[in-house]
Amino acid sequence: MARPFLKVEGLTKVYPGGVRALQDVSFEVARGEFVVVIGLSGSGKSTLLRCINRLVEPTAGSVWVDGVEVTALDREGVRRLRREIGMIFQQFNLVRRLPVLTNVLTGRLGYVPAWWSVFNYWPPDLVQRALDALERVGIRDKAYVRADQLSGGQQQRVGIARALMQEPKLILADEPVASLDPATSHSVLRYVEELNRREGITVLCSLHFLSLARRYGTRVIALKEGRLVFDGPPSEIDAHRFRQIYGEDAVEVEIA
Amino acid sequence: MTGRGLRLGVVLLAVAAFAYGWRVTRIDLGELVTKAHLVRPLVRDLLRPEVLERVPRTQEVAVPVALGGPPPPLGAARGPRVEVSSRSVRVGQEVELRGEGFAAGRPGRLLWRDATGAPSQLAEFTTDARGGFVLWVRIPDTLGDRGELVAVVGLPQTVWRPSETLRLVAERMVETVFLALMGTAMGVAFAVPLSFLGARNLAHGPVGLAVYGASRTVLNVFRSVEPLILATVFAVWVGIGPFAGVLALGVHSVASLGKLYSEAIEAIDPGPIEAVEATGASRLQVIRYAVIPQIVPQFIAFTIYRWDINVRMSTVIGFVGGGGIGFLLVQYINLLLWQKAATAVWAITLVVALMDYLSARVRERVV
Repeated sequence: MARPFLKVEGLTKVYPGGVRALQDVSFEVARGEFVVVIGLSGSGKSTLLRCINRLVEPTAGSVWVDGVEVTALDREGVRRLRREIGMIFQQFNLVRRLPVLTNVLTGRLGYVPAWWSVFNYWPPDLVQRALDALERVGIRDKAYVRADQLSGGQQQRVGIARALMQEPKLILADEPVASLDPATSHSVLRYVEELNRREGITVLCSLHFLSLARRYGTRVIALKEGRLVFDGPPSEIDAHRFRQIYGEDAVEVEIA
Repeated sequence: MTGRGLRLGVVLLAVAAFAYGWRVTRIDLGELVTKAHLVRPLVRDLLRPEVLERVPRTQEVAVPVALGGPPPPLGAARGPRVEVSSRSVRVGQEVELRGEGFAAGRPGRLLWRDATGAPSQLAEFTTDARGGFVLWVRIPDTLGDRGELVAVVGLPQTVWRPSETLRLVAERMVETVFLALMGTAMGVAFAVPLSFLGARNLAHGPVGLAVYGASRTVLNVFRSVEPLILATVFAVWVGIGPFAGVLALGVHSVASLGKLYSEAIEAIDPGPIEAVEATGASRLQVIRYAVIPQIVPQFIAFTIYRWDINVRMSTVIGFVGGGGIGFLLVQYINLLLWQKAATAVWAITLVVALMDYLSARVRERVV
């Protein structure tokens, strides 16, 4: 591999309560990959994603994104880094009382002067881009509806549009479909997949279902109790590997 | 065994405390019956507030005169009329008044109303069988260079009109509502910034935590001071009146609103904050887009609720010199004017109930 786009080295996170969420995790991701992170609840998937944009401060280890050592950045540096990393959440994390359009525009906050924000001012070209982003995820008509009026799948598409506004080079998706039904899950993941394929945006996405990981991931990494237990193509995860990751009693559930 | 002994000890101690309390507070339930006659007139008066008063209807004619100048213009007169022998007069001059068109055989008074509008009585008269009168009066020593001669004739009919007490009570009630509003506004102005500093979930780093601790301490200290004490202090400071009340309520509102606001901030969903932070937004932008939209409804509800409480509280604050209806009420009570006091009490009850209802309705709508 040439210079990796994302490099995680010896990443460890111990929460103040003493919980060891990540223990010496190392891996590399090339530009344009769709990496799926799997593992049980509490295996450290969310912590891993949040250490990459420093929403969580790692205890030890280092993270490089596109040649920049994330773990060495100061506050302002972190802010600049975050502008280029889109993030999608399990609970969508939209501001419920604000219109969809404003939620999408918040993806651009890192680039606009603070005093614009005080007056909720957005230049027309950004508004147009937000509308285009909504068009891309198929909910242009919901632009002026309050975010909490939308269904779960629609809300997640707003989340994707918000990430799209950032023109990200990396998307971190934390269980983006865990709160959605199977059909909606696919439609949401297809939008993420399209960004990955068409724009070459690198994706790091945690998922519950192995079937979804097989369908969308170009590569899978698995965490168990904070340790990396698998790193390879999805096709290599056989019954034996599966039990290794999910425990002896686990039964694979297919999602249509 | 020891458990039972302990329990018995506790029971005995409780009985002893209760018995001592009974004695020291001089509880005598019999007095409620034997002294009932003392409270009866008070209760009766409280049930008969002064709202309307019956006043005789009058016919009134005013004639303007000038002291040492050309006579002022006369308005067009209809009904009863009064003619004055001279309308350009000097102090001490005698003038003749001829009235006609009044009610027949009724008592009347002739008043002098000076330039400031203050009346003084010059003479009494009775109208003749045709409703007229003739009168000689001397222009009194007066302020200013003009005045009015006013003839007032009483009619046999009477009319009901809002009592003077009601007018005064209404005036002070309005003052009270605005006193509470200004106190609340002052509270909001200081409580909003303090609440952001005193919200645990927005405090980051050692500096943030220190500021958080400091603001919480300030809020707690202010809240522990009784508004009555604050009002007493401010009444001495800026003088008795509504301004002292505004200051007292304002300081108290800062403390209680600050606590409610910061608790509302602490209760918000952290998800949107995380999401907006993840876009590279600054601290200010996170507050603007992820915090404020989540807290606006609660802030409105708490503020209206506070206004409602402040109206209630401002009546008590008036007792110690904070202005408003409370100050009027305590004067009536001290002068044993129970019927007038009753007017104030009923007005307070009505307004408080109304505010309570309205604030509940508004809170329902916004939350």
